[in-house]
Amino acid sequence: MAKGKKYFSETKFYPILFMIALTIFFIGILATFHHLTAERINRYQEEKLKREILNLFSIEIVDVNTDFERYITEESKAGLDYYVAYRDSLLGYCFPIAGQGLWGSIEALLALTPDLEQIINIAILEQNETPGLGGRITEDWFLSQFSEKPIYEEGEIISYNLIPEGEPRRAQQVNQITGATSSSRAVVRILHENAKQILRTMGVDDE
Amino acid sequence: MMNKKQIFITSAFTENSIWKQILGICSALAVTNLMENSLIMGLGVIFTITLSNFTISILRNFIPKNIRMIVQTLIIASYVIIVDIFLRAYMPEISTALGPYVGLIITNCIIMGRLEAFAGKNKPADAIVDGIGSGVGYTLVLLIISFVRELFGFGTIFGVTILGEWWTPWSIMVMPPSAFFMLAILIWIVTTPKKAKKGD
Repeated sequence: MAKGKKYFSETKFYPILFMIALTIFFIGILATFHHLTAERINRYQEEKLKREILNLFSIEIVDVNTDFERYITEESKAGLDYYVAYRDSLLGYCFPIAGQGLWGSIEALLALTPDLEQIINIAILEQNETPGLGGRITEDWFLSQFSEKPIYEEGEIISYNLIPEGEPRRAQQVNQITGATSSSRAVVRILHENAKQILRTMGVDDE
Repeated sequence: MMNKKQIFITSAFTENSIWKQILGICSALAVTNLMENSLIMGLGVIFTITLSNFTISILRNFIPKNIRMIVQTLIIASYVIIVDIFLRAYMPEISTALGPYVGLIITNCIIMGRLEAFAGKNKPADAIVDGIGSGVGYTLVLLIISFVRELFGFGTIFGVTILGEWWTPWSIMVMPPSAFFMLAILIWIVTTPKKAKKGD
């Protein structure tokens, strides 16, 4: 080899080209894998959403897809998409709600009574809170606190106050999760902000 | 040179990543309250570590030394994403239960540790054995800890009720602190005979 001549693998372009080639190779594999499973994942997520909505209205599920078609209709008003539940009579409305949590966005479902003045139940669909702390916002004891609470009273949307976990609570109070004040606050805030918009669009709150 | 059996025994037991090297503790503490989650997590790590080891071993003479860690991370991340997609598509319940921990396999130091210490210097076939060995060693520890935690915490093993209604579940076993106790006790039990032999 002539003096001073370098192998290609010793040039400064080699690491860059190596990295690019490797990245393209692995992106190719991942893209293929994603493509092969995307439909299955979407179908599961759709069923999960349907199941959550039926659960919010305490409808017993035999087959998710048939039950959803039988009892739930999807409607839209001024850009707001929501679900309406009927069984013999109107059970209530379910609205997808979302907002910023501590680490990422929180997506949830809010079910309201037919007069839109009381919460039936809440379900969390997606969250990225700290596992074991903020992640506990999905737990039943936390979410069930909101059930049957008024959301709209005497012309005002109710904002709930947080009190420490385990303490006895009154009508407009909610027990927060110990060690996860921010996530608990986020849920209450998301609820309030979304309720405002929902009730305005649905024509309950005129302000 | 070690043969395949020796490689496996060394990486799974003698030099076990958790009780000997104290690596991969984060996930070992996090997912061990249920045996099912531990097993799936263990399989995810075995899959990732084996294929990453294999890939790095094949490429070991081509990887520029100065960017080897980025290369390792890219390879590990790719395999972990495959595990994540697979779980979401075929085991959605477990995917939800493991939540962010699947993604965190990327940061499991056992994997990068094996890539650095073994795969970068050995042949692909040996790297595969080492990967399986390290993964099995890790899974074994997870299963031992989760066996005790699930049994006392829920009265079940793999979700099957073992202890009847007379049993009062120890709720601390389900919560994070018990993982620390259990891991410490396990490391103590495993390392004590060796220390006694050495006369420490």
